[in-house]
Amino acid sequence: MGEKLLDVKNMKTSFYTHVGEVQAVRGVSFGLNKGEALGIVGESGSGKSVTSMSIMGLLQYPGKVKEGEIFFKNEDLTKKSSNEMMNIRGDQIAMIFQDPMTSLNPVYTIGNQIIEAIVRHQDVDKKEARVKAIDMLRLVGIPSPEKRVDNYPHEFSGGMRQRAMIAIALSCQPDLLIADEPTTALDVTIQAQILELIKELKDKMDTSIILITHDLGVVADVCSRIIVMYGGLIMEEGTAEQVFYEPTHPYTMGLLKSVPRMDVNEKQRLLPIPGTPPDLVKPPAGCPFSARCPYTMKICLEQAPDYTYVKPDHRAACWLLHEDAPHTDVDTGVKREGIE
Amino acid sequence: MKEINNNEILIEVKNLKKYFEVNKGFFGRSKEYVQAVDDISFFIRKGETLGLVGESGCGKSTTGRTLIKLYEPTGGEIIFDGVNISELSENQMKPYRKKMQMIFQDPYASLNSRMTVGDIIGESLDIHNIATGDKRQARIFDLLNRVGLSKDHASRYPHEFSGGQRQRIGIARALAVDPEFIICDEPISALDVSIQAQVVNMLEDLQKDFGLTYLFIAHDLSMVKHISDRIGVMYLGKMVELTDSKELYANPEHPYTQALLSAIPIPDPEVTKNSQRIILEGDVPSPINPPSGCRFRTRCQYAMERCALEEPAMREVTDGHYVSCHLMDDKYPVAK
Repeated sequence: MGEKLLDVKNMKTSFYTHVGEVQAVRGVSFGLNKGEALGIVGESGSGKSVTSMSIMGLLQYPGKVKEGEIFFKNEDLTKKSSNEMMNIRGDQIAMIFQDPMTSLNPVYTIGNQIIEAIVRHQDVDKKEARVKAIDMLRLVGIPSPEKRVDNYPHEFSGGMRQRAMIAIALSCQPDLLIADEPTTALDVTIQAQILELIKELKDKMDTSIILITHDLGVVADVCSRIIVMYGGLIMEEGTAEQVFYEPTHPYTMGLLKSVPRMDVNEKQRLLPIPGTPPDLVKPPAGCPFSARCPYTMKICLEQAPDYTYVKPDHRAACWLLHEDAPHTDVDTGVKREGIE
Repeated sequence: MKEINNNEILIEVKNLKKYFEVNKGFFGRSKEYVQAVDDISFFIRKGETLGLVGESGCGKSTTGRTLIKLYEPTGGEIIFDGVNISELSENQMKPYRKKMQMIFQDPYASLNSRMTVGDIIGESLDIHNIATGDKRQARIFDLLNRVGLSKDHASRYPHEFSGGQRQRIGIARALAVDPEFIICDEPISALDVSIQAQVVNMLEDLQKDFGLTYLFIAHDLSMVKHISDRIGVMYLGKMVELTDSKELYANPEHPYTQALLSAIPIPDPEVTKNSQRIILEGDVPSPINPPSGCRFRTRCQYAMERCALEEPAMREVTDGHYVSCHLMDDKYPVAK
């Protein structure tokens, strides 16, 4: 622990479309230590998935990392050729996607798809790889893996397909696993199974995890550190406790307030965030959240705020935290009373 | 505002069944049935919101669609405002179509992309001869205004709107005919968290202002708890538990409800760390050949011999709290 595995520095990713340059990620910096589970939370269009695709080198035309560095084990991934990236992908960094039906190949058996990954990256023959594949399926909790290894994806249920995806991703024991909305397409009871599996495998195989989701409940369960993204920028970063109990950015507070609490029994009215997310073709000059923020000041519209470190490991980009900012009574949305 | 008598029952469902045929043999002979909804009964009071929760394939959407006869029920009765509508013909149904409307899950697929927003909303006004000419226009503007859009939006097409705005258009369309009962089939699951709250608040306001009755179908249990007065939990075509929403979360009696509730991730790191999860094994069995007896028994940690032999009856364990499970004492009265 404590050793840095991934270090993203001022990464900017854009999509050059016919309507103009969509600035999906507009300068994002963060690090990930070995064995850590980092959560990236945000709504659709916040840039969370593009961030992960940029790290994986999976951006397709017209998308491009236009600036910044991505250090993985002290090597800059943005400088790697696509061949070198192919050796890293699947072996050292693996990814699980949201929709297990479209990310598995329907014309190959599950076993073949795991074997493919193992043979590609490890010095084993197909026979050994098959044994390994069966072991992996057993590890992720597929019943009678000796038989199931020869099934096609359509013969698996949604939850089992996601388990198979995890088996493929972990077959080469990667150092980093990026899970992009791994449970969004699944039912709650199956989601609980998969999250439990991810937590268990993380400890067993000592894999670092980046979990990307829009579900605050899911990150609270799995992650120790959380990044909140909005409009292509990191709004707030801190430990799970800091982000949930002492949020400092109005967007984080807004998110926490807009979800109903299952464990609070009195009937509360939801407090939605008014308005809609910004257009990233013409991102606002100032803070991306300024148009929806209840505390907007003049400067918020003109200039994007820098990060203020509330604590050494807790930062947020908000003008309210600036030392010259007027004192504002901010309703953080953290209600700890009334909980059973 | 309309007067609401809280005890009056608007819609009552008795032993509702909906089976879908699946042909298996080569010549389509040996028929099998998907028992999507199998013998469920419940009622909804005027002005009330009944939540329906369950995993995909449990029959909650089919229940909703059968209720307003988008599907012809295989068996059972649907009594709307004192009239049994399950036997009515399409023509006889027309006046009831005006009273029952639906909001769909996918705001991208449920709006005709070749019609302007004004025509989408106006279509139901035309069909039911509610308003024409200037009156029609005024009604459309009024409805758009009601759902937080402006009258300029009437001449635009659906693709010009975001998901949340489209859902508002869908709601305006449902409201156009001045319905009494609206089925909300996962109305917020395709929307972002911050937008979900906007739509839910709007649904609550509309309910208050127009005295609407809702059937709210969703798999997001925290939202269902928030909006519903009573909640029914479904599993594989059966209603397993039905009670007041507070009671359901405070005292879940059915093992499936307990597992479902404990599986919800709570946005609070400490609470999540300290909570004991019940992790269900395996997947939902196929509704073509559901397990004998209690359908949940294959995944239930308390399953007994009796569960495989005998289907549990719906029993009323406390006032208005119905559970269908053999763990409940036989002394509790069987619900009628």
